[in-house]
Amino acid sequence: MARLIDNSNNMSKQERLKALEEMIQIVLLRIPKEVEAMHFYKKAAEKSTTKEAKELFISLAEQEKGHEAELRRILAELKEQFEKIKSE
Amino acid sequence: MKREEVKQYNGENGKPAYIIYDGKVYDVSDSRLWKNGKHMGRHKAGEDLTDFISMAPHDARVLEKVKYVCDLEDDIKEDNKMERYRALYRKYHPHPIFIHYPMGILYFGALMIVFALMFDNNNFELSSYYALVVGTISIFPAVITGMISWVINYEKTMTHIFRNKLIFSFILIIISLIVMSIRVYIGAGILNTPFKWIYVGGYIIIIPVMTFIAYNGGRITWPD
Repeated sequence: MARLIDNSNNMSKQERLKALEEMIQIVLLRIPKEVEAMHFYKKAAEKSTTKEAKELFISLAEQEKGHEAELRRILAELKEQFEKIKSE
Repeated sequence: MKREEVKQYNGENGKPAYIIYDGKVYDVSDSRLWKNGKHMGRHKAGEDLTDFISMAPHDARVLEKVKYVCDLEDDIKEDNKMERYRALYRKYHPHPIFIHYPMGILYFGALMIVFALMFDNNNFELSSYYALVVGTISIFPAVITGMISWVINYEKTMTHIFRNKLIFSFILIIISLIVMSIRVYIGAGILNTPFKWIYVGGYIIIIPVMTFIAYNGGRITWPD
């Protein structure tokens, strides 16, 4: 698992937890935005009248789905690191 | 194979590395891009990687180079139930609807109590009292739908924004109930009693508390 905060400096446990919580919040708040964008593009694809437009919107929806999946993966890693530091 | 079974093939400790893509199971153990069940240090074997393909520098044809194992059985994703709740929430968005009731009504009520003091008019005082009762009641659906949103959209993840919202919502409920109880107990002539400034002060404090909750809600909707 990639380290998402720097443990090499002199950050205290509280500072590391605070930094991680800040990152968790950034990632967490972004996820519904990606989901929202994905649904918007899916709806746009359904309403599209040409094959090209439909394909474009489907491709955009898949990209947003990818962003969501990636953010959820990062969030799970951050939460895991947070719990690990908390239990130290 | 079922999803749970695929998870065991995580490529660790000499186990084969399987992945799921689009309802099919593939064996990536012999791929040089997979080491100890990890791909590029990010993706783990045993998991469903379908949604990640749009983020990858390759397309799904790369799977033609690895061994197909089988189709997934009983393919129901674990998060389907939560996804259904999320879809319902997205469709009806109850929290953004309900938050505007206490905000509008209690801001109006606070203005009425200020007018009652300025113009010594009982009608303004009565208006502020009715606004306080309706406003206090309307806090509950706003808080409950906010908590539902926290559970289904943010999986009860506690960060300082959500902590602020929870703590100050609790404070708001307590202050509103106390102020309302004082008014109910003392009655219509409260502005002519020694309790006047406790009542007015309590009423006015509701405004910054509620605004702080709304400010944190805004930070969720429009993250900076």
